[in-house]
Amino acid sequence: MTDIAPRAVTSGGRRRPGGGGPRAGTVIAFLTPFFLPFVLFYLVPVGYALWQSFRVVRRTGGQYGTSYTTFGGFDQYTQVFQNSEFWNSIGRIGLFGIVQVPVMLFVALVMALLLDTPLLKLKAFFRITAFMPYAVPGVIAAIMWSYLYSPQLSPVVDLFQRIGLHPDFLGPGAVLWSAANVSTWLWTGYNMLIMYSALQSIPQELYEAAKIDGATNWTIAWRIKVPIIAPSIVLTTVFSIIGTLQLYAEPAVLRQISSNISSTFTPNMLAYAVASGNNYQQAAAISVVIAVITFVLSFGFMRLTSKKAGL
Amino acid sequence: MSKTVTRTRLAAVAAAATLVALAGCSSSAPSDKASAASCTPAKGKVTLQYWNTVPGMDKVVDLWNKKNPDIQVQTKNISNDQYGTLGNALKAGKAPDLAQVGYDELPALRTQNAFVDASACSAATAAKSKFVPWTWSQTSFGGTGVFALPQDTGPMALYVRSDIFKKYDIAIPTTWDEYAAAAQKLHKADPSLDITFFDPNNAEWFNGLLWQNSAQMYSYSGDKWHVTVASDQSKQVADYWQKLIAGKLVRTDLANGSTQMYAAYQKDQIASYVGAAWGYSMFRDNLPKQSGKWSIVPMPTWGANGSSGDWGGSTVAFMKGSTHLYESVKFNTWLNSDPEALALENQLGGLYPAADAGLKLPALSKGVPYYNNEKVFDVFADSSRKIDTNFAWGPTQKTVNLALQDAMAKAAAGDGTLTDALSAAQAAALKSMKAQAIPATAGK
Repeated sequence: MTDIAPRAVTSGGRRRPGGGGPRAGTVIAFLTPFFLPFVLFYLVPVGYALWQSFRVVRRTGGQYGTSYTTFGGFDQYTQVFQNSEFWNSIGRIGLFGIVQVPVMLFVALVMALLLDTPLLKLKAFFRITAFMPYAVPGVIAAIMWSYLYSPQLSPVVDLFQRIGLHPDFLGPGAVLWSAANVSTWLWTGYNMLIMYSALQSIPQELYEAAKIDGATNWTIAWRIKVPIIAPSIVLTTVFSIIGTLQLYAEPAVLRQISSNISSTFTPNMLAYAVASGNNYQQAAAISVVIAVITFVLSFGFMRLTSKKAGL
Repeated sequence: MSKTVTRTRLAAVAAAATLVALAGCSSSAPSDKASAASCTPAKGKVTLQYWNTVPGMDKVVDLWNKKNPDIQVQTKNISNDQYGTLGNALKAGKAPDLAQVGYDELPALRTQNAFVDASACSAATAAKSKFVPWTWSQTSFGGTGVFALPQDTGPMALYVRSDIFKKYDIAIPTTWDEYAAAAQKLHKADPSLDITFFDPNNAEWFNGLLWQNSAQMYSYSGDKWHVTVASDQSKQVADYWQKLIAGKLVRTDLANGSTQMYAAYQKDQIASYVGAAWGYSMFRDNLPKQSGKWSIVPMPTWGANGSSGDWGGSTVAFMKGSTHLYESVKFNTWLNSDPEALALENQLGGLYPAADAGLKLPALSKGVPYYNNEKVFDVFADSSRKIDTNFAWGPTQKTVNLALQDAMAKAAAGDGTLTDALSAAQAAALKSMKAQAIPATAGK
């Protein structure tokens, strides 16, 4: 979370003039603990996936002969682009993201602003409470919510039924939004905290000056606070875009109790299903395409907003 | 030295490391060399690795180890990610001597060259007579090889709430036609009561129903697979359940074995369960209050075709790379046909044996208190002997099952039919086999 106040830390580029820079050995010693795992557990797997995505399986000696892989050009990618399940899953989480991300970030922003007002009492309590869902692992949260959604076990559904309503949280149309609700519950507090930290770093003098000029609390919030913390809002949006594209745990858990979540519900679930069928090359190609889409969307969004947000 | 140079060098090192790692991953050149298995006993003490998913299996192995100081077996429980663990071990060339593999995954793993043919050992071929016929045809792929020994099975039967059937004066159905009629009567008598549930996310269960109707989903001849997932027999089963779903005579919102499923049974909302032998303890342990209300009767039949189906069960496979085939055969045969071992596996792991001797175990010959002291295992033993021996699984079964489930879920939600789901599964089978360069064609 060091990116929250970028301007405060990025001044270390200047060095002492003349010789006497750090010796290579020292640099390597300090960087190795980072670089070794980075190479082994990040670059190598990514490189391996990239390499796999250009391979196709061939076989000699008939059905139970020996299989091997060979260069297949863009064969795997052609299959990804022709796979309607893939585009369906992208469309599904596209819809998810367009609705869930703005709702979640708006709620997070409002909560952060409320926490920042001098009017609110018991701040520490509210801050911790709002942040607490983030401490619950995603899978556990999804299991918890799946009990609340289940028509057989849920006290919530039971209450609805007592007043004559029969909501089906796991139905074909509703289940995407039930998953979105779990994500929102999990991540709102986290995003709120990032925005709240940014609010904390605004100097009080600005507010005093604004008050002298006759600004109300409302004006201060929307005209001063929000524009100043815009970089954090952009940051949380980018995190949310990445999180949406990688959505897996919530729908995968809800799938245990609802057949309306297919094995190809999200792009990551599709990649996993394909890999579990021993088609690693196709799964690799799907993963690469997801990664490219994620990069384009997050960097595209950052570029689009960088001027306005002052990044 | 300037910082930039160091950074460049580090990047170069990183890139080089990546390349080395990639080179290490590249596949070996294709070779047609058939691994001729030999069956010579080892000199001196041997240690075998056996990976499994059965609770309490370590205790069974302890018993063996005590009796056989020269053939020691080490177990590892891989139930967390059975096929992932096996697949990775195979890729790394570190597979165990013996491993637990479900019947439906045997062709897929054989396609990945996972097994060694143990038929070089006379003890392995001689074991054939010890097992229920259909299980042997699965582990030998209908041929003369021995790639695994059967361990347990899931012969299917009908679990019925006899009290509910009695209350509404409905005879326990013996054919699927009678079952559908009973479904209607029950629903009419009490609209909140259904005869059973259809779990769209359970292809394994549905496959058992297809198996019962002698649906041949795959066959292998002329050097290629013939894919007939959407055969007439399969469609008959699909149509049948489609009608029950469309008539709202079965629930489609419950997942097999889920808390929700037990809750529905607990609330007397469902009157029967089309299940397998291993399910007898599920009901006993999860619905203790319904003790004495359940009976187990033979699965409803398709008219003149009196055969039964199987749902689940697994084998212990001879894995490629094992250097102790003789000892593996010896242990594997004991593990899966010795009455003492079978009794322990049944007691600790709930396994329903594939060995004929196992069907006569004392524990499986007694009446079961939960089921009104009925001898329910007689029903399962009878079912096991009536299972079609010609049924074969496909080499990409997992992918086909997922496609089938996704399409069945759509059908249950009113989008398409179960017959469409069979077509989707057929298409997925052909596509996934093509992706793995497995020669296949549609139709017989």
